[in-house]
Parts: sequence; C-alpha cells; structure tokens
Amino acid sequence: MVDKKVRRALEKVVGRQNVLTEPADLLLYSYDSSTAVGMPEAVVFPGSTEEVARVVKACAERGIAFVARGAGTNLSGGSAPIRGGVVIALTRMNRVLEIDEKNLWAVVQPGAVNLDLQDMLAGRGLQFCPDPASQKVSTIGGNVAENAGGPHCLKYGVTINHVLGMRVVLPSGEVREFGGKVLDHPGYDLVGLMVGSEGTLGIVTEMVLRLRPLPEDSQIVLGVFETLEAAGEAVSRIIAEGMMPAALEIMDRQTIAAVEASFPTGLPLDVEAVLLIELDGLKESLDRQAERCAEICRELKAREVAVGRTPEEREKLWSARRSAFGATARLSPAMLVNDATVPRTKIPEVLRKIQEIERRHGVRIAKVFHAGDGNLHSNILFERGNEEDFKRAEAATAEIFRACAEVGGTITGEHGVGVEKVKFMSLLYSPADIEAQWKVKSAFDPQGLANPGKVLPERAPTGAEA
Amino acid sequence: MGALADKLRALEGIVGEAHLVTATEGVGEYRVEGQQPVGVVSPGTPEEVAAVLRAAAEGGFSVLLRGAGRHLHLGAPPEAVGLVVSLARLGQIVEYDAENLTITAQAGVTLEALQRAAGERGQVLPLDPPGGDGATLGGVVAANLAGTLRTRYGSPRDLAIGLRVALSDGSLVKTGGKTVKNVAGYELTKLFVGSFGTLGAICEATVRLAPAPEARAVLAAALPPERARGMAGELLASRLEVTAVDVANKAGVKRARASLPLTIGPETRVVFVGLMGDRTAIDRQERDFRKMVGGGCARLEGEEAAAVWRGLREGPYPTGPEAVVARAAVPPASALDVLEMVTGWEGWWALARPGDGFVYAGPPVGCEQAETEGRLANLRTMARESGGRVMLEAGPVELKRSFAVWDEVGNLDLMRALKEAYDPARSLGCGRYLPGL
Repeated sequence: MVDKKVRRALEKVVGRQNVLTEPADLLLYSYDSSTAVGMPEAVVFPGSTEEVARVVKACAERGIAFVARGAGTNLSGGSAPIRGGVVIALTRMNRVLEIDEKNLWAVVQPGAVNLDLQDMLAGRGLQFCPDPASQKVSTIGGNVAENAGGPHCLKYGVTINHVLGMRVVLPSGEVREFGGKVLDHPGYDLVGLMVGSEGTLGIVTEMVLRLRPLPEDSQIVLGVFETLEAAGEAVSRIIAEGMMPAALEIMDRQTIAAVEASFPTGLPLDVEAVLLIELDGLKESLDRQAERCAEICRELKAREVAVGRTPEEREKLWSARRSAFGATARLSPAMLVNDATVPRTKIPEVLRKIQEIERRHGVRIAKVFHAGDGNLHSNILFERGNEEDFKRAEAATAEIFRACAEVGGTITGEHGVGVEKVKFMSLLYSPADIEAQWKVKSAFDPQGLANPGKVLPERAPTGAEA
Repeated sequence: MGALADKLRALEGIVGEAHLVTATEGVGEYRVEGQQPVGVVSPGTPEEVAAVLRAAAEGGFSVLLRGAGRHLHLGAPPEAVGLVVSLARLGQIVEYDAENLTITAQAGVTLEALQRAAGERGQVLPLDPPGGDGATLGGVVAANLAGTLRTRYGSPRDLAIGLRVALSDGSLVKTGGKTVKNVAGYELTKLFVGSFGTLGAICEATVRLAPAPEARAVLAAALPPERARGMAGELLASRLEVTAVDVANKAGVKRARASLPLTIGPETRVVFVGLMGDRTAIDRQERDFRKMVGGGCARLEGEEAAAVWRGLREGPYPTGPEAVVARAAVPPASALDVLEMVTGWEGWWALARPGDGFVYAGPPVGCEQAETEGRLANLRTMARESGGRVMLEAGPVELKRSFAVWDEVGNLDLMRALKEAYDPARSLGCGRYLPGL
C-alpha cells in the first residue's frame, strides 16, 4: 500500500472518492482476464488528460510504477500490476468526443467501450473496423494498447491501420500529441509505436480513429465438414479465386460440442469442423460470391451448406461462433487462452501438431480460429486449483508456440505479450532484435516505470555483443 | 586524403573492388541536389549492408541510402553527402507466398519485378506511387510512398508486415513477421517505414498483396467546382467501393495527360473514379455515379482506362530537376477547398485525392521563385488552418532552402532520442529529413 503522503498527493489530483487503497478494493484490480496477478498499491480513476498527467508525474517523481487499465479484459496479463505500483483506471474517461461524418473520423477517450462506439456509428452508416470478440466490454484504449484484431482482419486490417492520432501522457507526465487528424505527419511514426505497446511507453488519453462507411450488405455461408483439412482447403480455394471475405472462421469438434451444450444452435456433433464465411460489399457481387463459396464447400464434400441472406439468418449463423468462447468457458472456467498465429496455409500442419500435443500431454484443447488470417485460438482447459493439470496446460502452450514459430508464425496475433508470453519472445527474436525493441522503451521511458515487466524480456547487459 | 583512401579501402574489403566507385572514377550520376558523394558502395547481401553501415559509421561518413534513385527529390538539401550506399544489388525475391498473399523481397527489387511475379499468380502489389514501377521496394517502404490506390489499400505503413533492417552498429535485425496479425513486441516495422533511411537500412520487406481485380474502369465527369466538391464527399461517404477518387483542375487534367471525351473549360473540375472489381460491381457503380452526376460521364476501359489511371498516378511526379511539387495533407472534406484556392492562381495545376486528404499542386513552368514561394506560403497557411500541413516534395535547391520542406512537426525531442538510440554516430540520412534526424 502507498504511504499516506503519496495517497494524499493522488487524492489531490483526482479527488478522494477516486482513489482506492483498501486491500479489499485493491484485490479487484490485481488481475485481468489472464492468469497474471499482482497487488497494486493504489488505484486511481482520473477524469481528464490533465489528471492522468498529474498522476503519472506524481509517480515519476517518486519512482513508483504505474499500470494503465481499461475494462480488464486483457488475455496476456498486460493490465495486471505484477510489480505493484499505481493502477490508473481509465474507465471514467469514456466519452466519444466527436464523430465527423464528412471527414470520417471519431475522437474518443480511452475508456469508451468498443461496442458503444460501434452502436453510435452504425446509426450514421459508419463503423470503426476493429471489432475484437471482447467488444461488448473492452475499451478503445485497451484495443489501441494491444493493437487488437478480431475476425475481420484479413480484409480490414488490425487496429493500427485505423488510428490517425492520439494524445499521450509520457512516462515523465508530459502531455504530447502524436499524429493528428490528417495523414502522413512528417517524422517517425510515433502513433505506430504506441499502438500495441501495451501501456509500456505511456498512456493514451485521447484517440483520433479513422472510420469507414458500413458495407452495403453482407451474406454468410456456413459449411459443415467431416475433416478440418477439408474446411481449410475451402478457405484456400476461396482466396485463390480472388475473393476477399470479411471473415473466415473455423470451429473444431470440441468447440462445436461446447457451443451446443450451452447455447444449442443445431450444429451436428459428429463433425470435425464448421466453417463460417462472411462476405460483405455491394449487393450485386454478393449473390455470385456466396453462390461460389457454397459451391466450393459442396465440391469439398461438405455435409451441409447454409447461406444466410437476411439479417435474421445471418445472426443465427454467426451466433454459434460468437458464443464459442463463453461456451468453452462454461465447460471449464479455467483455461489458458492463446492466440498464436501462422501464415494461413500452415494451419493444417500446425493443427496436426496441436492434436499430437493434446494427446501427449493429456489435455483438452478447444480450437477456434480466424482461418482467413491464420490466427489460432487453442484454448487449453484445466482444472482450477489442480497444480499438475495447470503445469500440463502450460507445457502444452509452450509447445504450441514453438510449433507456430517454426512455421514462420508468431506467439501472439492479437492478445499481446503481456506477462504470459515474455518468455517466448526468444522463439521469434534474436538478442539483437530484442535489443532493437529495448531502444524504443528506453527512449520513451528511461526510468522504466510504465507497466514494468511486460512485453520485453530483461535487457541484456550493455556492451553485450548481439 | 590518405585517411579517406584507407576508409574506402575498408569498404572495398567488404563488397569487393567491383562494387565501390570513388569520386575520382566518376560518381556524377549519384549527385544529390548538386552534391557529389566521395564514393558509391553497393553491397550484395544484407550482411554486407550491415558491415558497410558499421564501417561507414566508424569512418565518420555521412551515408545516403539509395535504391533506384527515382525519389531523390524528396527531402531537404543534404548537409553533406559522403557515401552513397546503393541497395540496388539486393535483388532477390526471397519468398513469394501466394496462398497467403504475402511476398518477401530484398530492398533492391523493383516494383516492376514484384508486379510481374504477382501477376503470374493473379495477384497485385497494391502500391502505385508516382515515378513508375522502376522504384525499388526498399525505397518505397523507407519513404512510405503510395499513390491512387491508397484510399482502398493503404500505404506501405499498412502493407509492410515485416522487415529486415541493418543498423549502423553492424547488427541485422528482424521486425514483425509474415502474418497480418502480429503483436509480439513493439511495432518496429512502423518505426522504420517512412524513416527515410535515417535509422537503418531496410534490406528486406514482407508486404501484403491483393487479388488482381477481374476488371478495371475509370469514370470521369466534368463538373462545376461546387458540384465537384459535393460529388467527392458523396462518393466517399457512400457505400460504393470505389478504388480511387481524384479531382483535377484543367491544368491538372493536362498534366495527367488524360484525353477525355469531355469538354473541359477553366471553370471545370474533372472527377475521376477508379474502379476495380467484378464487372457487375463496376456496372452497378457506374449507374450510381451517373445518377449522382445527373448527366455526362465518360466510362473508359481497357487500355484507355489504364492510360488515364497511369496519368493520374504520375501527375504528382516532378517533370524535371527544377519542377516544383507541393503536397498538402488536409482533412478529407477540405481537400477540394485547397484545390479551389490553387486553381485561382494563374496556371497552377492541382490534383486532389480527397479520400486521403491530399492535394498535389505546382506552378506553371517559368513561374518566378518569389511568386512560387509566396503562393506556397499561402497554401501552407490555409492547410494549417484546417489542422493540415504542406510538404515541398520537389523544387530547386534555393527554394528548398527558403521554404521548409517538411513543414513544422512536434515531438522532435522523442524522435531525436530514437535517432540517437539507433544511429548514435548520426551517420545516416545526410540531414535530408527533419532537423536532427
């Protein structure tokens, strides 16, 4: 717990009612949606950029670490204060400050919830493309900090492709503007560095987001396959024919079973894969594309093929996929979630390896993946409190990461490195590569107070030859 | 002199005699803004590039990285050009993963070679910067260059997903990877894209490709200024999937060498719409566009469409060593206001890309420098009023010395800290980018 002096200093900035220091309160901010835990010494709820700046400055002057936090949906430990310090919760700063329909941008505060923004935009025929599965609760600030993805990245890119500018509180407490409302600010791409930096370079307190008109229409094609390979092959053929679906999602047998047990949608339980294809764009092209996708599924001996054209039909087909995570969590509330990503065509090879890992370690792995962009979510179920079981799950995770790195993939496609994946960074990067990343950290945060212990492994001693 | 000879010999030791040309042997074609380098060194592998950068930093050389030399007009006049490091020999396509729509190629590979490879598999590299396909991948990525396709596909900042970069300490580092989604560590790729060779040498890049469209067409309509402005806004806010929207004044149309079956007077603006996709979608968008225009609209296809599209792409490219090209970056809805202001100046051409908020403009041939400079200052003032800015992309050295090439920018202290971290000897870039970078 922080001493009285520090508490008073924080209270002076944000008001007494916006500082928590009681152990019971602190406990609530000691974890996020991962397995990482760490007790904060205080939690503050600033209401403005200026307050964030003063809180950060108070920390900087005293050498206290600080961790920015949104809704706490982080899946890699990015928002868990593993080294103590002050948690800066941005949930009060949740306003959408501006929506400019002519210039297609929105200015938002970090605590704004993704789906709330989407709802406001949809009424105007607009969208902010990144729509991670957590969008009902996750905040835009968190999405930006993690460079969040979601199911629509093959066509629309990830968060970084949709952020124009931001206001940032540097780890010194200084307030800066990076980028802006117009494109191509001269100088280094500081916005690009901040997006995905997981709160380790400073705190973003306002963002300018690029918007897009909503597509005119969309259609869903759903194929039920006897093998994962056939579903994967369907994806390959669709892309080889030059189509660019908005989403391509695959669920495996375990996930289908979980979904049907919790939220029955009528999917058969004796199949290995369900492929969901979402097409969007102009009405005129959609009919033809949907027909062609359905044909491809049939050519590959899909047992069932369904096409959703109306909003109701589409929603029905999407609902199974959308409930996958929750349904799996119902089977086993404790699971290790990972989001390793491989070049899409490596999916069958990696899946075989994952199935082998599953058998060898005697663990259950529910697999859902964004097949279009190669993002695999292999959710490893374990029994809470069973140390042995947890160790098996961890060992399986490590092997999955290795398997993905070996085929040119990455250890995290959208959840971030956080704490959980720090030790796997060396699967991807050489000591020289890591040192190149450390240079950014030290340029922004020489004191090392912004979300310490995240993203990068300990820095090699200076003078060490790379 | 002896010291210089020793240093050059060290470089020669890395790349071999055939790949070092010194000033005495003639390096005239490598002059930059009138300055002649002491030597041109052409490493053949990323490892050689790293070794050359290290030796150059240790030798105190000021290094200018070079690809095909198609965009050397970009940047402030160099403080001093010591050594030109040409990456043109890094000419290999390392891995073309067509099924995953990515290609990894070395810095010296030209866009032409990439398009040829992609074309064979029914794909395209969706980058069309001015200056043609002779430009190299490394240069285009280092300068973040894009063209008419940017509104739909983005710039190298969006398309490059991984790099291999040589640093001036001699290390060779990897950033990003081969997947679109990748959040393992900092986005160093973004730091190097657009850094104009001031932090390291991009030796290899992995970029995203797109499926080649079934068909392309260009629609063009001649409209009075007010209607053109409304049209651009309507198109971009609509749910149509136009690939490019360019608006030109009469001199701009001429510059793009677009021969159109339209009557174009001084009070006409031409709205060009580039469409890529399947034929049904193109037909449908043509119908909608005609309805919006409410009258005359030309539809060009095949070679005719390609020629006009090429003209629009090349419009912003400087026509000669003294040519002046400015680029305003403003909010999208302000782009046509900027175009109108420029059109009010005798003989000035202007080409607007409202989708991204860019307006390219330049004076007529023979315009006095004082007049040009005055106009550019007006342009800059206007752009700044809407939160934008103006970059001087090309112009004679004297103009570049008196009119700030990059416009004003904040956070120089942070950028300098990054520069100091990656290039402590300050050997890269020759002072052509922002002050101190």
